[in-house]
Amino acid sequence: MADREISSTTTVHRKENSLFSAVTWTDTYYNEAFSSPGQAREHWQQIVTTLETRGATALKKDDERARQMRHEDGATINPFDDPARRSTAWDLDPIPIIIDAPEWSALEKGLIQRAQLLEKILADVYGGQLLLRDGHLPVDLVFANPNYLYSCHKIRPPGNRFLPMYSADLYRGVDGRFRVLRDYAAYPAGLGYALENRIVMSRIFSELYHHTQTLRLATFFKAFHKALIQRASLGHENPGIVLLSPGPESYIYFEHALLSRYLGYPLVESQDLTVRNGKVFLKKLAGLEPVEAIFRHLSDLNCDPFALRRETASGVAGLIQVCRENNIEIINPIGSAFVDTPALSTTLPVLCKTLLGQDLLIDNHPAWWCGTDEGYHFVVNNLDQLTLSYAMEHKGIDDPPEIFLNRIMSAPRNYIGSAPLTPAVAPGWNQHGISNSHILLRVFVCATEEGYTVMPGGLAITAREAETLFYNSPTMQRSKDVWVLSDRPVEPFSLMKDFHSIDEFKRSNDLPSRVADNLLWLGRYLERTEGLVRLLRHIFGKLSGEDRPRDIPELSFLLKLLSVKNIIPTPPEDVTDTPLFSTLSTQLNNAILRRDGVESVNSLLGNVRRTARKVRDRLSLDSSRIINHLEDLAGSSFIDPLEFLDETLFALNAFSGLTLESMTRSLGWRFMDIGRRVERAINQTHLIRTSLPLVCCESRNTLETLLEISDSIMTYRARYRSAIQLAPVLDLLLVDESNPRSLAFQLSTINGHLEHLPRQHERPFAYQEERIALKMLTEIRLLELQPINCQEENNSNEALADFLGSTAKNLKEFSQQITGHYLTRVQTTPHFAMIRGKEKQ
Amino acid sequence: MKYAITHTTGYTYSEPASLSQNELFLSPRTTAYQSVLQSSLEILPQPQYRHRRTDFFGNTVDVFMIQEPHNELKVKATSIVQTSIQVQPDPSTTPPWESVAQRLLSYKHRDDFDALQFLFASPLITVSSQTAAFAKTSFTPGAPVLFAALDLMQRIYNEFSYDKTVSTIDTTVSQILEKRRGVCQDFAHLTISCLRALGLAARYVSGYLETIPAPGKPKLIGSDASHAWVSLFIPDFGWVDFDPTNNLVVGERHITLAWGRDYGDVAPVKGVVMGGGTHRLSVNVDVAVENIWTPARCMQNDSQPIKCRD
Repeated sequence: MADREISSTTTVHRKENSLFSAVTWTDTYYNEAFSSPGQAREHWQQIVTTLETRGATALKKDDERARQMRHEDGATINPFDDPARRSTAWDLDPIPIIIDAPEWSALEKGLIQRAQLLEKILADVYGGQLLLRDGHLPVDLVFANPNYLYSCHKIRPPGNRFLPMYSADLYRGVDGRFRVLRDYAAYPAGLGYALENRIVMSRIFSELYHHTQTLRLATFFKAFHKALIQRASLGHENPGIVLLSPGPESYIYFEHALLSRYLGYPLVESQDLTVRNGKVFLKKLAGLEPVEAIFRHLSDLNCDPFALRRETASGVAGLIQVCRENNIEIINPIGSAFVDTPALSTTLPVLCKTLLGQDLLIDNHPAWWCGTDEGYHFVVNNLDQLTLSYAMEHKGIDDPPEIFLNRIMSAPRNYIGSAPLTPAVAPGWNQHGISNSHILLRVFVCATEEGYTVMPGGLAITAREAETLFYNSPTMQRSKDVWVLSDRPVEPFSLMKDFHSIDEFKRSNDLPSRVADNLLWLGRYLERTEGLVRLLRHIFGKLSGEDRPRDIPELSFLLKLLSVKNIIPTPPEDVTDTPLFSTLSTQLNNAILRRDGVESVNSLLGNVRRTARKVRDRLSLDSSRIINHLEDLAGSSFIDPLEFLDETLFALNAFSGLTLESMTRSLGWRFMDIGRRVERAINQTHLIRTSLPLVCCESRNTLETLLEISDSIMTYRARYRSAIQLAPVLDLLLVDESNPRSLAFQLSTINGHLEHLPRQHERPFAYQEERIALKMLTEIRLLELQPINCQEENNSNEALADFLGSTAKNLKEFSQQITGHYLTRVQTTPHFAMIRGKEKQ
Repeated sequence: MKYAITHTTGYTYSEPASLSQNELFLSPRTTAYQSVLQSSLEILPQPQYRHRRTDFFGNTVDVFMIQEPHNELKVKATSIVQTSIQVQPDPSTTPPWESVAQRLLSYKHRDDFDALQFLFASPLITVSSQTAAFAKTSFTPGAPVLFAALDLMQRIYNEFSYDKTVSTIDTTVSQILEKRRGVCQDFAHLTISCLRALGLAARYVSGYLETIPAPGKPKLIGSDASHAWVSLFIPDFGWVDFDPTNNLVVGERHITLAWGRDYGDVAPVKGVVMGGGTHRLSVNVDVAVENIWTPARCMQNDSQPIKCRD
């Protein structure tokens, strides 16, 4: 629709072959860059000239560079989920929006006024409610509004700051004036993307950027941080501030990670926090660390399952109680999503007069709330010209008019009608050239000691069609950087310098238990997958040779390794012959492919992916790419299982290599390696236990197979230069601490890691897991292998079997102890008494 | 009437619970018809954290946390209250329901302000055209508001059966309407939904009802239970309480704990626990008459079984 209106024969630029000559001119919308065809606005002239000079080829390269940089920074949403499409939230369009100084200063005044007004309203509805009592604010806007939280009534946030951070969507109408489309208070979505866009743009157009006297964003973040520290009277050295994110499930998780790094606030999820004695704490490996302020990116209703919503597991139980005690500053305070209520804006023109004695400086987008008589009649009489949506939440209505008319009549207060959106257009890059797109401006305001301050810039949200801007759908929208010009020279203030200084300042060696837990399991799943893949690869390798299955003597041993773990069915006892080739091949293919809950390569890869997702911010970009690749592999239908297994093994090894190379030797790395070692030790123990009864009575090939699937055949040959014999094989696979595949190597590494974990007791070996690890290591070091041979009636063989059995048990116990000590994964369950039938007997 | 009430809630966990947070609405309210002579709480194990506040609706709320591993939790609330018979307007002289709804809708009378928060749907009480239609049978055009409300109560009492097996935590008003059975808070929710659907202000009241044993049988200690009923706002008069489960206008034998928009606002005991495995809940309520010589025990409906107990 918008396209039709834009299309006309005039182009904005008269010059032949100009970049802008493909852009059509329209009077239907305000044009940000041009005042008339061929005439760029004054503050746009410099950029239009620069773009013209660069030309399409260079711009195309710029665009690709920008894409690459954003990709490297991780600005793609859920890369693990969507490896194929790589769809991103607010994809960057490298042509910025330019706003000149006088215009910006007018906008600033208007936004500050609006923030002041909204803060006063919040303070009233969560306080004395005089606006309601005096009839200035309709009661249903509060009492029938799900955004109003009764549990937060009477809570006074620190410094009486009900609205420390405010953001809004503005658009410029045909008349050239800005209007407010939406207000946001719960959390400032897009703040991180605005920052990322600026980081990328200042690198790509560095020369232009520095010539245009564009105001820097860093000052805003500095002011925000300083105000927070003063308000919450936090220590400057090590303030207990965290950034609370819903986690990698959020489609804008990238910006949470970016803001966390930039501001130096540790990135946490709800389950990292706990409430004790009316205070909030962060659960870390070394113990509980006090939290004094939370920059939250979580919706109101997900903040506290105890006080707000009984059915959700997300949130920090008791958080609102902490607010009541005034023991925490939350930005923004829980309950502030009241500001996000679309119908609230219709009351602002009058409330602004009442509360501030002023007219609203920036008008609202025209809208009529059906909760008032006038609004209701206007909407019902002009249905065909209005966009209808929910009045209490940002949500559109798709139903046909006859249905929603009935709904309006039955509950008018739930609906609001808005005039069609006519946002301005601006030139944008479309992969091939320049064309117009519609612009919405998301701006950010924060409270400081000196009053509100507006971020000089923001996130320009763009779309080809005006309608796409009406709702919040970042993946269907693109974005631009917003350059606000100064009439004075701009202080050189490097964003990136600041970025790193805070980052390093805040880096500590401790980490949240949740992260350590996930890394431990990532290590275990990776190793478990690798073990299974190696085994299957070996079997497929044997089967693809010239021999028939029954001519492969070690096959029954190999299959037994699988069947003991229930990966393939146990062959019936009475059938002495090996299974038929076709049955076998189905079973083995299943061991790769099946997804029905039984362990298989695919199910294990799924576990790897799910766990990796949870620690995405801890992995390097390249590591994430390999995980994506593994996902691709798991989803693909293969022809040759051997090729598939080869490729999977290759990717797994690449991942391990990269992790070793790129992860600092911090606690996180230690936990991941402990996971890997525990799993390998379990696997190795299982392997030798299963092979022990067979090595003597069956084919000697079993020993060779044992070395092959342990990846130790080369080492064996290099070291012993002899035929394969039982005692040296066991020596290499069990007790040789220099062989990275041996059981002793795993146990010795585990013992090494334990020394570096945080501890409360000074005394060594005070903890159960330390004692078990030491016991296992000592036992294997004292293990006697010389008497073991294939003579009959050999007690030593039995002793070895017992040793392996007890090691398997010890490993399991060790794993439970370390989880219990560091990683308590206790389920939170809603207690009781919402059970009506019982409580009410 | 003077009552001594003990309300004991016990939880037994299959595994140690490491952290338990709870919110209690167990302190009776002081009202025009009820004075609280004594009220105390006993919690075992000893909580590490306690906090008391007055909530949005004026109820006393106790919050506590136990931060050490425990296998059992016991909350015992004891109170002594004196109740008296509520003054009721003559139902047939109350104003027509439409004019009440109109007056509340206009938000003009400052005296009505405290009723306005009870006009709308709330988390557990939806308001629909179905409940409006159900209510309209009683709320005929021009019908006096209390008269019609009591008729609605009578209909719910007659047409719905008391059944504690159908009700769960998630039972919605429309399910109650469809199944025609439930327990006391279901009937309270339904009644409130009907009243709000017409534009009237109605609140949910949580409390106790003294049990009258069957003739000739002794009263069993601990045989009482939590109870719930409805309060309707009548402009220029105030709130009138009635009990749809028992088809009663609330009298001396009802003891008020707390009120809110619905059960969720005033659940007597609610909380979350970390760990604990599966838990077993036991609730024991005893409402004992302090002064046995008070003659007002034999009231109307004495022959009828009283529900929301046993």
